[in-house]
Amino acid sequence: MKIRNKPDGVLGIVAMASIIALSLSGCARDGAGQGNGSGSSPGITDTAITLGVTTPLSGPTAGPGTCTVAGLAAYFGSVNAAGGVEFGDGKTRTVDIKSYDDAYDPQKALSNFQQMVSDGVFAVTSGLGTPTNRAFREAAISQQVPQVLVMTGDPLFSDREESPWQLGFVPIYENEGAAFGKLLAESDAQHKVAILSQNDDYGKGYVAGFKEAIGGAANVSVVGELTYEATDTSVDAQLTQLAASGADVFFNAMSITPLVISSLQKAQQIGWTPSWFLPSNTSSPTAILQPGGAGAYPGIYSVSFSKAPQSPAFAQDADVVKFLADLKQYGNYPDMPAFPHCMWSYMVGATLEEAFKNMTEPTRENFMTALRDIKGLQAPLMLEGTAVDTTTDGQPAVSTVLVQKYDGRGYGTVENFG
Amino acid sequence: MPAMSSVLANKSTRVILIAVVAIALVVAPLILPAFTNQTLVRIGVYAVAVLGLNIVMGYTGQVNLGQIFFVGLGAYVTAYGVNHDWNIILVFVAACVVPGLVGLLVALAAARLGGLAIAMVTIALPIVGVPLAKRLDEFTGGSQGTSARFTDAPDWSGLYNDQWQFYIVLLVTAAAFLLGRSLVRGKYGRAFGVVRENEAVAASMGISPYRTKVLAFTVASIFGGASGFLYLAAVQYTSPETLSFGHSISLVAAMVIGGAGSIAGALIGGAYYVFVPQLTNAIDPNLTTISQGAILLVVLFLLPQGLVSLPRVVRRLFRRRTSRSSLPGNPPQNSPVHQPATDAAREGLEKTERQDRS
Repeated sequence: MKIRNKPDGVLGIVAMASIIALSLSGCARDGAGQGNGSGSSPGITDTAITLGVTTPLSGPTAGPGTCTVAGLAAYFGSVNAAGGVEFGDGKTRTVDIKSYDDAYDPQKALSNFQQMVSDGVFAVTSGLGTPTNRAFREAAISQQVPQVLVMTGDPLFSDREESPWQLGFVPIYENEGAAFGKLLAESDAQHKVAILSQNDDYGKGYVAGFKEAIGGAANVSVVGELTYEATDTSVDAQLTQLAASGADVFFNAMSITPLVISSLQKAQQIGWTPSWFLPSNTSSPTAILQPGGAGAYPGIYSVSFSKAPQSPAFAQDADVVKFLADLKQYGNYPDMPAFPHCMWSYMVGATLEEAFKNMTEPTRENFMTALRDIKGLQAPLMLEGTAVDTTTDGQPAVSTVLVQKYDGRGYGTVENFG
Repeated sequence: MPAMSSVLANKSTRVILIAVVAIALVVAPLILPAFTNQTLVRIGVYAVAVLGLNIVMGYTGQVNLGQIFFVGLGAYVTAYGVNHDWNIILVFVAACVVPGLVGLLVALAAARLGGLAIAMVTIALPIVGVPLAKRLDEFTGGSQGTSARFTDAPDWSGLYNDQWQFYIVLLVTAAAFLLGRSLVRGKYGRAFGVVRENEAVAASMGISPYRTKVLAFTVASIFGGASGFLYLAAVQYTSPETLSFGHSISLVAAMVIGGAGSIAGALIGGAYYVFVPQLTNAIDPNLTTISQGAILLVVLFLLPQGLVSLPRVVRRLFRRRTSRSSLPGNPPQNSPVHQPATDAAREGLEKTERQDRS
C-alpha cells in the first residue's frame, strides 16, 4: 500500500502541473502591456469603446455596489439607444460596460483589473471601495490604464502627482466636513460642538475638514471630542460623556448604520437633543432617521450633491423621471434606488460622455487630458449649485456639496443654520 | 489506463516526466499571456495557504478556520519589512517566522482543547485580526491598507513584471510543496495520521497527540505566512479586508474541494480558489455567489473526496466496465491497481466521519 501511495501522489502533482502547463501554452504571448504603439489604445475601435467596472456585486456591500453599475449602464444604455457618443475625433462610438464582482476583496479587485486588461478594457471606472480601488491603483499606473471617477472618498485618488491615471468622483471626506463647518461658522449664534468620529481615515477626514472650516470662527467652540472604533458595537459611553459637555451641535462622523440608529435613540434617552450632523452615507431618511426617531431633534443635517428620486420634491423633476426610466430599462434595476450610488454612477456616465466629446485621439493619454479639463458641467441629477470640476489638483470630480436639513420625510437644501 | 500507470510507475520515466514538467513551468511564463501568468501566480499564492491548511486539517484532522489570519499576518510582515528596506531574504524569513510563532503560541493553548473548541479558537483569529489590523495603523496602514512593491522585474532580467512574479512564486511554491510532501510522507506525517485516527492509539504508541497537534498548527501557520509573502508579491497591497473571516471559510472549502489529506489536492484547491471567482464573473457578475455555491455542491456531490479523486473515480468506472465486458481478465495487472483504490476509498470515508463529528 505504501509503495503504491508514493507514485500516486507524485503522479497527481505531475499530472496537475502538466495539465496547467500544456493547456495554457496554446496561447502565445503577443504584444504584452502597451506594445502596440501606433494608433489607438486597447478597448477603443472606430465604432465602440469598452469600459470596465470592478465593484462589490456580492457580499455585504453588494447593495451600493450594484448601484455603481446600474446607473452607469442606465446612462450609456440610453445614449447607445440614441446612436452613441460623438467623440472629439469625429467618430461616433457606442459605449459597452463590462462589470466584474470583487466582493469587496482587494485580491479579487486586482484579479478583475488584470482580467480587464486581458479583455481589452479602455478604462476602469465607477467602482466602489477604498481598499479595492487601492489594490490595483499601482498596477493601473504602471500599465497606464485610466482608473477614473471611482467611488471612494480617499484623497489619494485625486492627488495628481501620486495618482497620474486616477481621479475620484465623489467628494472626499474633508469636503463634507468642511461644508457643515462653513455653515456653522456663518451662523449668527454661538455654538458649542461635540465631535464623535470613527477612529480611521474616514472619521479623521471629516473632522479635519470640519475643523479647518471653523478655524477662524469665534462663534464656534469644540467642547468635546471623542472617537470610537469601527468594530465597536456601542458608543453609549461616549454619548453620555459628550452630553455632559452641554453642546448644542453634535458632529457625528460615523459610517456604521446600526450605530447611528442606536446613537440617535440613546441621546434622546439621556435627554440630550442637540442638532446633528451626519455624513452623506449614513443619513438615509428611511433606513436611519425614521428608526432612530430623528424627529426629536431640532435639526438633522447632512450633505448631498444629487437630487433624491424618492423625495416628493423631485418626483416630477425631468432628470429624475428620465433617470428612473433609464434605470428600469437599461440598468436592470426596476426599484426605487436605495443608495445614492445609483445617482452618482449616472453622473459618472455624463462626465465620461463629456470627456469623450472632447477626445481628439482614441488614446488613453488623450482621454485623461480631456477628462481633466471639465469645468462647470451640470450633470443630470446634480443639485442646483453643484457641478463637476476636474481641473483642481487634490480635488475629486465633485467637490462641492450642499448642506441639507431633514424635514421629517426627506432633505431640503438650507442656506443658514437653524 | 493500466498500461499508462505501469509506465509511470517506472522510476526513470517518472524522473524524466518531472524534468519535462519542471522545464515547462520554467519556460511557460515566457510564452504565456500576462493574464495567464498573473492567474498562475495567484494560484501559487493560495495553493501554499491551502497546503498549510491541509496539513493541519486534512492530515492531522484538527479544524482550523483561521488560516487566513496567518496569510494576512505574513502579508503585513512582508509589507512592513519591504517598506523598511529590509533584505528580501530577511523579509521572507520574518514572514514565515512571525506567523509561525503566533501559530505556535495559539496552538500551545488551543491544542489542549478538544474538537470543537479548537475550531472556536481558530475562528477568533480572523475576527480579532481585522480590528487589530485597523487599530495598529503604525504597522498596518490602518483601514486604508498598505502597499509594497518589491516584485517589479529588475532591468537586467529583461522580463515583464508578471514573469518575474511568476518565478518568485514558483520558487517558493515549489519549495513549500516539496517540504510539505516530505513532511507528510515521513515520520511526522505518520504521526499526524495516527493522531487524526485515534488519539488514544497515538498515545499508546508513544506519540504525544498534544505535541503533534501543536506541530501541525505551527507548520500550517508557517505555510500561511509564506502564502502571505506570496500574496504581497502578487497583489502588492494588503488591507484589513484581506483577513476577513469569509476568506478563511473559502480556503477550507478550497481544501475540501481540492482533496483533504492530499498534496496534489492543495494545488487543485488553490486553483479552485482562484478560478471559480473568475469563472463565475464570466458567467454573470451579478450571480457570483449563487453560481459559486452551485459549483461547490456539484463538485461535492459528484466527487466527495475532492477533485483530486477524479482520476481515481474515472479509473474505477473504467475498470468496472472492462471487468464486466471481459470477466476473466488478467489478474497480474488487476490486483496492484485494485489495492490503492480501496485504500483511497477508506481514507476518504474516515475523513467525512471526522468532519461530521467536529
